[in-house]
Amino acid sequence: MSLAEKYPKEVKQILAKYPPEHKRSAVMPLLYLAQREDGYITKEAMQDIADALEISVTDVGSVVGFYTLYHDKKEGKYRMQVCTDLPCALRGADQFMESLCSNLGIKVGETTADGLVTLEAVTCLAACDRAPMFQIQSGDGLKYYEDMNVDKTMELIEALRKAESNS
Amino acid sequence: MTKQVTLTIDGKQVTVPDGMLVVDAAKEAGIDIPVFCYHPKMEPVGMCRMCLVEIGRPVMDRTTGKPILDDKGEPKLQFLPKLETACTNPVSEGMVVYTQSEKAEAGQKSTIEFLLTSHPLDCPICDKGGECPLQNLTMAYGPGKSRFLFDEKMHLAKMVPLGELIYLDQERCIQCARCIRFQDEVAGDAVLGFDERGRSTQIVSLSDPGFDSVFSGNTTDICPVGALTTADFRFGARPWELSSSASICSQCPVGCNITFNTRREAMSDGKIVIKRVMPRQNEEVNEIWMCDKGRFAYHYAESEKRLSKPLIRKDGKLSRASWDAATQAAGEAIAKAKKDLVVLASGRLSNEDLFNLKSFADQVEGKAVLYTHMGGGDLVSLVGVGQGTNFGAMGAGTTIVVVASDLYEEAPVWYLRVKQAVQRGAALIVANPRETKLDRYASFVIRYSYGDEVRTVHDLTKKGKVGDAFAKAENAVILFGSDGLGLDGSTALATACARALNDTEHAGKPNNGLIGVWQRANDQGAWEIGFRPEENLVGALKGKTVYVVGADPAGDDPALVRALHGTEFVIAQDLFETETAKLADVVLPAQAYTEREGTFTSGERRVQRFYPAVPALDGTRPDFAITSQVARQASVILEGTSASVVFDILAEDIKSFAGLNYAKLAEVKPQRPIVGRGDLYYGGTTYENKFGLGVQLSSAADRSEKFTLPRVQKVEELRPKEKKLLAVPVTKLYDRGVTVESAKLLNQRIGEAFVALHPSAAEQLGVEAGERVKLSLDGVSEDVVVKIDETISTGVVLVPRSMGLPISAPAEASLKAAKKVSVRA
Ligand code: SF4
Ligand code: SF4
Ligand code: FES
Ligand code: FES
Repeated sequence: MSLAEKYPKEVKQILAKYPPEHKRSAVMPLLYLAQREDGYITKEAMQDIADALEISVTDVGSVVGFYTLYHDKKEGKYRMQVCTDLPCALRGADQFMESLCSNLGIKVGETTADGLVTLEAVTCLAACDRAPMFQIQSGDGLKYYEDMNVDKTMELIEALRKAESNS
Repeated sequence: MTKQVTLTIDGKQVTVPDGMLVVDAAKEAGIDIPVFCYHPKMEPVGMCRMCLVEIGRPVMDRTTGKPILDDKGEPKLQFLPKLETACTNPVSEGMVVYTQSEKAEAGQKSTIEFLLTSHPLDCPICDKGGECPLQNLTMAYGPGKSRFLFDEKMHLAKMVPLGELIYLDQERCIQCARCIRFQDEVAGDAVLGFDERGRSTQIVSLSDPGFDSVFSGNTTDICPVGALTTADFRFGARPWELSSSASICSQCPVGCNITFNTRREAMSDGKIVIKRVMPRQNEEVNEIWMCDKGRFAYHYAESEKRLSKPLIRKDGKLSRASWDAATQAAGEAIAKAKKDLVVLASGRLSNEDLFNLKSFADQVEGKAVLYTHMGGGDLVSLVGVGQGTNFGAMGAGTTIVVVASDLYEEAPVWYLRVKQAVQRGAALIVANPRETKLDRYASFVIRYSYGDEVRTVHDLTKKGKVGDAFAKAENAVILFGSDGLGLDGSTALATACARALNDTEHAGKPNNGLIGVWQRANDQGAWEIGFRPEENLVGALKGKTVYVVGADPAGDDPALVRALHGTEFVIAQDLFETETAKLADVVLPAQAYTEREGTFTSGERRVQRFYPAVPALDGTRPDFAITSQVARQASVILEGTSASVVFDILAEDIKSFAGLNYAKLAEVKPQRPIVGRGDLYYGGTTYENKFGLGVQLSSAADRSEKFTLPRVQKVEELRPKEKKLLAVPVTKLYDRGVTVESAKLLNQRIGEAFVALHPSAAEQLGVEAGERVKLSLDGVSEDVVVKIDETISTGVVLVPRSMGLPISAPAEASLKAAKKVSVRA
């Protein structure tokens, strides 16, 4: 199913925001839309967007490649993006990350076996004073979690897992 | 005229047009400012920082608007605290630039040092080594050592195919984006982009097929490192081992100037062979570009299948013979035939070959027939583009009309030049029965039905928006082709075009007139020399003695096989044992154009020289010489023992060539941008033109001769009839012609013979895109692949030329869904 077939209303709304001669500017919102369901953007979706905006699929792919919040591979449903930049490191982000890894049994960049969580290390998310902190990227957008520790984080993941199996 | 500005660069005063970039102004003054990302044919982006210089600008007194003077009475200069990029700063009056100051040099050194932190420095095995801007500029401007840790170098993939033609070495790429910008700005195929960011930034192509552009090879010329290489030349030779010979591309009527790079090598049994084809600068023809067909389809001349001995038919079989015996047999047959001689030749041959053939035919009162499906070259000689026409000079005030032609497929570099002219402000009218790539740039797209070509052109002279855009334009050029047309249809179209141009006074001056988008490189030359196509070729051959040169009618059309069987005697002169040669009585082996010299006349009527690149295959001779030898056997003496002398005689004989000779054709003048071996870093590896820019012929209108244009002949209605399909021929760049077929690389892009249908026609037949159908044409049936084109009408199907299907003109066809193979469960 093409993007326009899947989300007719949203696509229309997004396109309406830009003058027709500058419709290529709609590429970012359309990419978020394409990523909503599966957490990543398929080659077909990129082609759909390219066709709709009359730009090349390579141009669309370049945008996906440039921005770190677009993904072109299927990974965890929730992307846990832990800041490990210098200020956060000073507040223990590294240790936090390390024990999170051992609790989850994965390395940075990997996904839990059930496909629920992908763990990523990122740079400053502008919440340095409340580290350890991370954001979770999912179909619902971005959510911040600040002043975290491993126990709280594991509880959070458990809750997500439960919600998942209930749905 | 633009305002001139005077500035000082490294103590040298230079006066250049206002708005010029500092880097170009320096080049004018003979000062090289090193660059990587800047390229004189593209917009500056200031990405690589290699061109850092110190720029001082005079301080102005705001009240008087005059420069403030210092104690010594010199204008006071203001320098920015940091270095500036010479590639993004335009010149201004009184500017002072230092390109070699301590500060500038420190900037250059650190830029190189940074670039090399991630560079593999594998020059010893790199194709670019020896002609690499990064290598050269590192030697000239680099620090000589690095403070970075060797162990922290990035290691990336070194053999990433971006398509079948171009390979990327990710480690070598310095992210200058020249390739991306070329595809975007110059070629108009935005199929390259950057993936990722920061140190991980990499070139990618997501198109299908990869790097989907017929201009892809040019990126390897302008890539300032060895990151992009062609699959053809990759690890093929070192640049310093190569010799070069100037030539002209023989694949289409554009006539791109090229250079053949050759070397003698053990790999080819000690023979001298062509290793690669490079563009050669001619700003009035191809600038510094060429298309991939021209670049990669040169292998045919090396084919094992080349003929190297004359053949004579004995007891029904062709067997080897001496040149004397073969030419004697041919000569005698022609002497006997006299006016029953038909010379059937194509625009694959040079002007010299065609001239000798025409003289021979004339002297025995035979006929010189051009083997083509497209008419109108005689009209081009009358109202053809005026001397001095140059797409590169067209912009606002010029209207370009393209009718019945898909330029991207038929003459790629014209496509590129027309597109560029539009971007400079020229108006473009594209009139075609189906969608073509050029439509994107058109101010007006006219979509007519097959058969309505003449009326469409006629409408250009009528009042209205489109008519005004054409008729009232200061300059107007029409490029006409043969999309969906045979000989009579294209002749009618050409006549309508010529009349429209003449009626609106768009002939006889530069940047005005008619251009034919011919199938072959020298079709226009053949017309100039007096060759004419034959409406009824089958009839014209009956009972005649036929001398077929550089053409393979029997390979193209079964009807012509039958026609050749009904002749008295057939002489075939070719590189290969073609289908025509197989049924000939005498076969004469000719040289490839890469093995000899000669001239071609381009579609813009520019006569250009090509020079021998490799030694001729033993046993072969140049076409013009074979013809004189045959003629002598028929007691006709053709003067001219060398190509240049034949050309001199031609120039005396044919009015439009008057006054030309090989020396004139070899003249050059300085061209901008400056390219060449010493300026690789600036323009890329394109060759400088040292061997001739060629001369554009004058048209009858240029010479103010009186002429009357013929009336448009009524052509039998080409409409699909009820319940019948009309198959119309279209031209594809990568076809099954001998040149592409023997180029292994391009072969993969040719695809299969196809038929293109309207979606509803496909539905009626119950077939889908990609499935096979049986196409019957002219008594021949063939399984072909279905393509869908919703821009054509329902009763029409498109059939590609030179793909093994006999289609020289629109014809009735029938389609049957191929039997589905049923698989038992
Ligand atoms: S591949 Fe070559 S031209 Fe393209 S960005 Fe890299 S270095 Fe520049
Ligand atoms: S545009 Fe034509 S002449 Fe130029 S390189 Fe391509 S085929 Fe050859
Ligand atoms: S450094 Fe981690 S949020 Fe700023
Ligand atoms: S920044 Fe000027 S050449 Fe790259």
